[in-house]
Amino acid sequence: MRQSLTLEQKKARLGVQLVLPSVIVIGLLIIYPVAYNMYLSMFKVNLVGSNTFIGAKNYTNIITDITFWQSVLTTFLYVVFSTFGTTLFGLIVALAMNKKFPLRMIVRSIIILPYVAPVIAIVYAWQFFFDPVNGIFIHVVVEMLGLYDQRFNLIGTPEYAIWVAIIFSIWKSFPFTYLMIIARLQTIDTTLYEAAEIDGCSSWKKFLHITFPELYFVLGTLILLRFVWNFNKFEEVYLLTENVKTLPIYTYFKAFTGVMDLGQGSALAVIQFVLLIGLILVYVKKVLKW
Amino acid sequence: MKKPLKVIMMIVIVCLVSSFVLTAQGEEEQAGPVSFEFWTTETQSDRMATIQVLVDTYEILNPDVKINLVPVEEDDMATQLQTASAAGNLPALIEIGAENAVAFGSDGLMDTVRNSELIDMIGEEEFYSGALRLVASGAGENYAIPFHGWIQGIWYRADWFEEAGLEPPTTWENIEKAAEYFYNPKENQYGILVGTTAEGYTEQCFTQFALSNGAQLFDKDGNLIFNSPEMREAVEYYAKLAQYNPPGPQTWRARDYYLQGKMAMFFYSTYIMDDLSLQEKAAGSLTGENFEELAGSDFDPDLVTHTQMVPLITNTDTAGYGVIVTLGIINQPDAAAADAAVDFARYLYTPNAYITFLHMAPGGMNPVLKGIASNERFQNDPQGIFKHYGADKMSEINTGMNDIVTFSIVDGNRITDASTITTKQIIPQMLYKVTQEGMDIDAAMNWAESEMKKLID
Repeated sequence: MRQSLTLEQKKARLGVQLVLPSVIVIGLLIIYPVAYNMYLSMFKVNLVGSNTFIGAKNYTNIITDITFWQSVLTTFLYVVFSTFGTTLFGLIVALAMNKKFPLRMIVRSIIILPYVAPVIAIVYAWQFFFDPVNGIFIHVVVEMLGLYDQRFNLIGTPEYAIWVAIIFSIWKSFPFTYLMIIARLQTIDTTLYEAAEIDGCSSWKKFLHITFPELYFVLGTLILLRFVWNFNKFEEVYLLTENVKTLPIYTYFKAFTGVMDLGQGSALAVIQFVLLIGLILVYVKKVLKW
Repeated sequence: MKKPLKVIMMIVIVCLVSSFVLTAQGEEEQAGPVSFEFWTTETQSDRMATIQVLVDTYEILNPDVKINLVPVEEDDMATQLQTASAAGNLPALIEIGAENAVAFGSDGLMDTVRNSELIDMIGEEEFYSGALRLVASGAGENYAIPFHGWIQGIWYRADWFEEAGLEPPTTWENIEKAAEYFYNPKENQYGILVGTTAEGYTEQCFTQFALSNGAQLFDKDGNLIFNSPEMREAVEYYAKLAQYNPPGPQTWRARDYYLQGKMAMFFYSTYIMDDLSLQEKAAGSLTGENFEELAGSDFDPDLVTHTQMVPLITNTDTAGYGVIVTLGIINQPDAAAADAAVDFARYLYTPNAYITFLHMAPGGMNPVLKGIASNERFQNDPQGIFKHYGADKMSEINTGMNDIVTFSIVDGNRITDASTITTKQIIPQMLYKVTQEGMDIDAAMNWAESEMKKLID
């Protein structure tokens, strides 16, 4: 005869039953691919036939390549400056758009355009714009204004290319940041500002002591998201200027040009994953204080 | 609680039984006609339409065969094949560059037996021997079947050269002299275009220089000899030439500057022939109407007569470069599909189907079968491009198939590792480092050598 369960045991069983579907879905869609990727990173993956176990060779191949370390540095430059720029620019625009002025609704809509326009179309527009021989930018600064005595390739030249990619990223992504911030700005209790005004606070002090603390977690989350997105960004950077070898682009060259090297690609994905997770953990603990 | 469970069990059983019945019916249907996928790298819609006509015609003649035509970008071919291989639904036939066919073939992907049989069926003597050499496995078999090809050369403004009293750019010395002479960035005019981005075009330009200096990646026994004085000399010379390029890293797209009258020489394949001779083809490259303020130009109808092409470059050796595009039967368990693919590929080599295919890009797609080059129908392409160039130039281009040299064949020996290195684009990455990042030549060559060693270990 089966022993009847106590109320606590029934609750525990119900808990397990409720959580189980999520555990299975997460296990299948997240844990399994990550684990399989780690497993694959220790093999030479052959197009046909079985794979060959090579231990940590894929990893040593990568970390002994100087281009890998250059791409790590490029990635950090790109991610830090583009994330910081996007957040700052989004914040400034959101603060400006929170004020009342004529045609505000139209201006607010226009601001969204860079974010919603297809990447490929914008990238080609930028390339034509900055083309060293036919581009209008060079034509203006060299031929019309005479600021430079000879033409140059702003997008292509390695020392400029990363800054063009960063500016492009800021320009393309700031509307999202702006939208999130302005949504939060509109929920701040106006009586706080009224009280501050009675106390004689300047605009800067109102921003520092009311607006910024209210926005703190929105900004924190936006920085975190932008950091992750830009760390993994491929299409925008590669299409605009493949000279900016961030980690995803390095991975593409290393693993996916010519005959694919899935083992090498997996090892790179693991390294990228570890770097990203490490940085996120530090950020979440130190900045977001979760 | 028990009743709903029974209902669910019943539904599951009904679903399972139905799926078994449907699967069985499907298998029964598959036992009839043979179907296979043909992956083509001719992804443009007009070319796809032409190939589809050929497929439809073949299907009418062979009602038991169903061909699914799939466009795949050449750069995506490896990824797509890998995915299809893992999923067990490989295509039976692919159209692919010879170097890639060799690289895939050395990984066991190509059906060398069927590909060799097909060459025998068509007749080995019918092919240009130079083209056939590029797909040979070295073990008496072939990784793929040459299908069509283009050759590369320096296209140059013969009228400018004549006016300046310069010799045609056939030697290292002549090329450098002319590039320097015509380089005038203040007037927005440039001497030459050689590839400097990390991509295939750069490798194609460089290969011809390296081989014309006797530099190889491997010796005939397969030992890596990349880091040689000859190769260093070629890299140094290439970097010097790149100084006369338009600003910044450049790729084949910069050929537009030549069409606009802003460049004296450029490396390009015979695919440029229609852009040079037909206004509607060149329209996309000209900016005259779009930006009147800019120094763009309208189509120059005389450009085709003012342009000459040098297919061979000479320094210590003489070298020509080109690419052979192949058809390849893929190694797979479905023998019926593979046999059908062989038959379809054979059909594509019949004169009418073959000429229809080649006329998709006159000048760009040149025949690898000797008999077709002299075929009257082939010589009268619908757009009249061949007439612009004349029979002699066309004959020179077609026979150029025999002069194609590559790093992957040394003294007649097939070096498959060289194809793998080519597809991994290590050399263009090195050239980018030298020409754009200002890396020291020795350091860049050491980097490239170590990457090559990692790849072939």
